[in-house]
Amino acid sequence: MKDRSLLTRGIIIALVVALAAFAAFPLGEKIKLGLDLRGGMHLVLEVQTEDAVDAEIDKTAERILEEAREEGLAGVRVDRGEGYTLDVTGVPRGEGDQAIGRIANDYLPEWSWDRLGERIVFELPLMEISQMRDQAVEQALQTIRNRVDQFGVAEPSISRLGTGSNRIVVQLPGVDDPERIRELIKNTAFLEFRLTTQPASGGRGLPSRQAVLDAYNGSLPSNVEILEGDVRDSENRIIGTEYYGVEKRSVITGRDLKNASPGLGEFRNPVVQFSLSVEAGDRFGEVTGANVGRGLAIILDNRVVSAPVLQGQINDQGIIRGSFTQEEVTDLSLTLRSGALPAKIVSLEERTVGPALGRDSIEQGLRAGLLGFVLVILAMLVIYKVTGINAVVALGLNVILVFAALAYFNATLTLPGIAGIILVIGMAVDANVLVFERIREELHAGRTPKSAIDAGFAKALSSIIDANVTTLIAALFLFQFGTGPIRGFAVTLTIGILASVFTAVFVSRWIFDLLISRRERVERLSI
Amino acid sequence: MELFRNTNINFMKYRKYWIVISLILLAVGIFSVFVHGKLNIGIDFAGGTQLTVKFAEDPEVDNLRALLEGAGVEDAQIQSFGEAGENEVLIKTPTLEGSQEGSRDKVVDALDGEYNAGSDAGLDLNRDGREDIAQVLVERDPDGLINGPGDADAAKAHYEGVAEAILEVRRENGLIVDWSEVESAPAVAVGDETSDLAAGAAGVSPEVAQVLRQEARLGNFSVIGVENVGPQMGAELRQKGILAVLLSLVGMLLYIWFRFELRFGIGALMASMHDVLVALGIFALLGFEFNLTTIAAFLTLIGYSVNDTVVIFDRVRENMQARPSAPLLETMNKSLNDTLSRTVLTSGTTFLTAASLFFLGGDVLRGFSFVLMMGVVIGTYSSIYIASPFALLWENMFSDKARAERAKAKRRAA
Repeated sequence: MKDRSLLTRGIIIALVVALAAFAAFPLGEKIKLGLDLRGGMHLVLEVQTEDAVDAEIDKTAERILEEAREEGLAGVRVDRGEGYTLDVTGVPRGEGDQAIGRIANDYLPEWSWDRLGERIVFELPLMEISQMRDQAVEQALQTIRNRVDQFGVAEPSISRLGTGSNRIVVQLPGVDDPERIRELIKNTAFLEFRLTTQPASGGRGLPSRQAVLDAYNGSLPSNVEILEGDVRDSENRIIGTEYYGVEKRSVITGRDLKNASPGLGEFRNPVVQFSLSVEAGDRFGEVTGANVGRGLAIILDNRVVSAPVLQGQINDQGIIRGSFTQEEVTDLSLTLRSGALPAKIVSLEERTVGPALGRDSIEQGLRAGLLGFVLVILAMLVIYKVTGINAVVALGLNVILVFAALAYFNATLTLPGIAGIILVIGMAVDANVLVFERIREELHAGRTPKSAIDAGFAKALSSIIDANVTTLIAALFLFQFGTGPIRGFAVTLTIGILASVFTAVFVSRWIFDLLISRRERVERLSI
Repeated sequence: MELFRNTNINFMKYRKYWIVISLILLAVGIFSVFVHGKLNIGIDFAGGTQLTVKFAEDPEVDNLRALLEGAGVEDAQIQSFGEAGENEVLIKTPTLEGSQEGSRDKVVDALDGEYNAGSDAGLDLNRDGREDIAQVLVERDPDGLINGPGDADAAKAHYEGVAEAILEVRRENGLIVDWSEVESAPAVAVGDETSDLAAGAAGVSPEVAQVLRQEARLGNFSVIGVENVGPQMGAELRQKGILAVLLSLVGMLLYIWFRFELRFGIGALMASMHDVLVALGIFALLGFEFNLTTIAAFLTLIGYSVNDTVVIFDRVRENMQARPSAPLLETMNKSLNDTLSRTVLTSGTTFLTAASLFFLGGDVLRGFSFVLMMGVVIGTYSSIYIASPFALLWENMFSDKARAERAKAKRRAA
């Protein structure tokens, strides 16, 4: 009876050890290292969704104005109202209202509108706004994914920080050129082609904002705005700013592109070649055909890249010229292909660790862990003699179990995680110590070794549980609070503590029982 | 070896003196952290940018400071990092007004202007990535692979492999200091079954080295780590950190209340608050940086402190059941003596591992392991001299027996 229980428990322990070893080894392959150890880039980005909503409202204002003109309503003004509203003024009652109703119905179904005295107020319902924000984040997520995929980073992890959040977490292991990746991800890449008005035939811009205004005798027409561009020297260094008057309406935007790729221009200068979708190609052909001789400004993120003169009609193929380097052309093509970001992106947090730094951390962690392990083993052997071996076996198994659990749950080992394992080595013996001390006490009280062991385990159990639950509570809050690396610590600490209860209560007990069962009568226990 | 056997130390006898000492420590801690403002708050909570830069030669810290100030980077903290001779420096700059994205670019530009002055090579092998290096090599084709129009892809794959071999050297050392390291870069495998490119190994041929010497430079520094925390994120982390510490204290109180009695919970809570504040004070006075990992250490300290206390209380409860009529003071003394071996042993092993981390675990974990080392010592002390006396105090003030006695005394006085 007794022997059978010993055997069963032995088999269970052997199975656990085998499974753990199978799961954990070889460590190099089975344990996933965090970015702080293997090197990589961790970014928390925030999508400025307000931008996307603003852009939508501005676009709608243009739309209403345009359609009102088509409907033959002269003198209509559209202004931004309070919150997410547009004030439309100068609309005659009756007929005008009907026209606005048609426009709203046909083109702006998501907006609600109402006449308030002389004004007609368009309002974007809150539901629509939150949906718009949500879409902006989803679109940004998709765009960033595309860009990272095309750039060729292995095992990227790009995800939203919880549903409904406007934050995106990007984790890229093993990045060699973080500066470039950072630019690539954050580049809004909003491309537009617009006709220039000053200088009308494109080419170089004017030297100052005032010069553009002067060309219009001081007042800008309502359909024109002034945009800046960089002046560069032959080495491509920025040496100044130039100014253009351009139409507010864009002929085509980045969304109309079917493809974009780097290429070489006539002077073997780097350019971006693009092709347009069929529908956009028609539109582009129409406008370019009608405006031969005028300048066509190529605008990226609201800056004029170049403003070549239209030599003839362009249909569905074209090139973007500017003072580009090869790298810029490659990245611009990539961002254009992956689509524009719907809104500006701000990096709230960045942690980039070079592989050399990570490797140092691993080495230092290993050294510290080894020293801690050896010291604890020595302490156990000195204090508990032969019984100390029992604790050492439990401790070794404990460490294996921690690695096995990490591998099994696919958890990430971080630098604080390593610290957690090392700390666990010191703390895990606590459960053994509690039991051993209790056994000693019982021996002093005159019990036989066998009954001392029984009593020791029985009495120490409640202390073991209480002591470990408190540490678990701390680990739990740590996990809740923590980001990446800290979570790694909470995880190893938690696993280590749970494993230590198992090894101290189950494994160590079995070893005691095994030792005792070998001899008929045990006179002394080396403890 | 038995550390203690049948000891009979009257721990509680001197409790008043120890509490005075604790109060002094607490006052010093609170003063240094909250009044004196000594706590060195890291960028995790304050926001800011921290760059780890490896230089080819030892950069004088004073020079760096002057350089950064000249570039408009104010209040930078500069300290050497890692082992001596590695020429690694930590540059910490505070948050820029109105910016979430920090001063990384400014710092890098300033360093570039100073340490890479006089080199106008377009490619920096200590800074650029695989694509850029490969691009230059494809253009110059030093290995003579492009003989026909169809060779471009194969050449690109080959030169990407070459670039990878060079980058491997950089990854290994953090910085390539000498051209000989480039020339002797071990070859890496290129091509695989999935592509139709010939599989093989790409290394740095003398011709490649020749071209790179012309087209590229070995920059004199390399940014091996960047941490930037915007002010918004810093504020959020600060809030979350404080909340985590407070909640875990409450969690401990509730658990002990549930498992034992309220008076023990109060004692344990007092002890862990004492530990946190004393440790924080010493931590601040010694100038360690308070950051995310430090919060982790403090939470662990709370866990450890309560862990130690709980084992003693467990014994108190057991002894109370064994001898219900004994005064609590006596029971406590007996329990402290009973558990003394365990307390010292577990504290000892935990201290050993924390100290291993402190001495060998590297700069990143130094503050963390320091908190743990102190935590073990203070936590052990407080289990004896804070937790137990407070439980006793609570008992004397609020227990039914104490109330009844006070009422009796009142009646007698009346």
